[in-house]
Amino acid sequence: MAKRLSAEERRASIITVAKRLFARTGFHGVSIDDIVSEVGVSPAILYRHFESKEELYQAVLQEFSATRESYIEAVVADDIGFEQVLRGMTTVFVSSITNHPDMLKMEMHSQLDSSASQDFFLNRWKSFTDYIEFSLNELQALGKIKPINAQAAALMYQGIIREVLLLKCMQHSDRLKDIPTALLVDEIITLFMKIVEPTR
Amino acid sequence: MSFDAELDAKGLNCPLPILRAKKAIGALTSGQVLKIVATDPGSVKDFEAFCKQTGNELLSSAEAGGAFEFMIKKS
Repeated sequence: MAKRLSAEERRASIITVAKRLFARTGFHGVSIDDIVSEVGVSPAILYRHFESKEELYQAVLQEFSATRESYIEAVVADDIGFEQVLRGMTTVFVSSITNHPDMLKMEMHSQLDSSASQDFFLNRWKSFTDYIEFSLNELQALGKIKPINAQAAALMYQGIIREVLLLKCMQHSDRLKDIPTALLVDEIITLFMKIVEPTR
Repeated sequence: MSFDAELDAKGLNCPLPILRAKKAIGALTSGQVLKIVATDPGSVKDFEAFCKQTGNELLSSAEAGGAFEFMIKKS
């Protein structure tokens, strides 16, 4: 028989197990039975905390948002430019994923599930695309950089960072095993900045 | 509540509302108030942290009709 836990501890233990299972096989690949048998409780106990599998999935996402990356420190410094903010934001975001790789796995599953949770994950990337698009458009308007398609640049950035995370956090690619994630990301930002050419 | 400048940050995700607010506050003089309207739910925590870090005063933070309104007084 499972150890007696407080309601709060029980709820947390269900979320922990659910997170691991959702990351492994996605929302549709996990049943309530899978979760309760792994937690070691009856379905009745699970339903006391969560009305449905959907509600449990939302609770897992909620927990990720609670540890939502804060870009404040990366952006409030004085006289900080586009490149420094981008580097700061990217560092915060990348470490949030390397610390919680289950989040990335759930995101990949959600791409196939066509569930409402897609919005949750899209929204996280929107911070980058918004920031890059707005800043590049603003810099162009001020004549500080040469004309560039800001939307395409933002998409390109998102794609590269996502690929780095996939290779480093999910596939543990041999090809990249000798280069630490932070360093790889740093190099990529340096390359990215080369396409943003200042006007002379 | 009266304010001296207004910033529309609707539809923008963090950190843009913060960056825009920083710029708008820079244009104010000490004691003046900036009103910000944002839609990103994360902006509530963000503006609290922003004020703590920058020393400006968060006079109010309220939700109305899916938008979030903040009043910040420049220190």
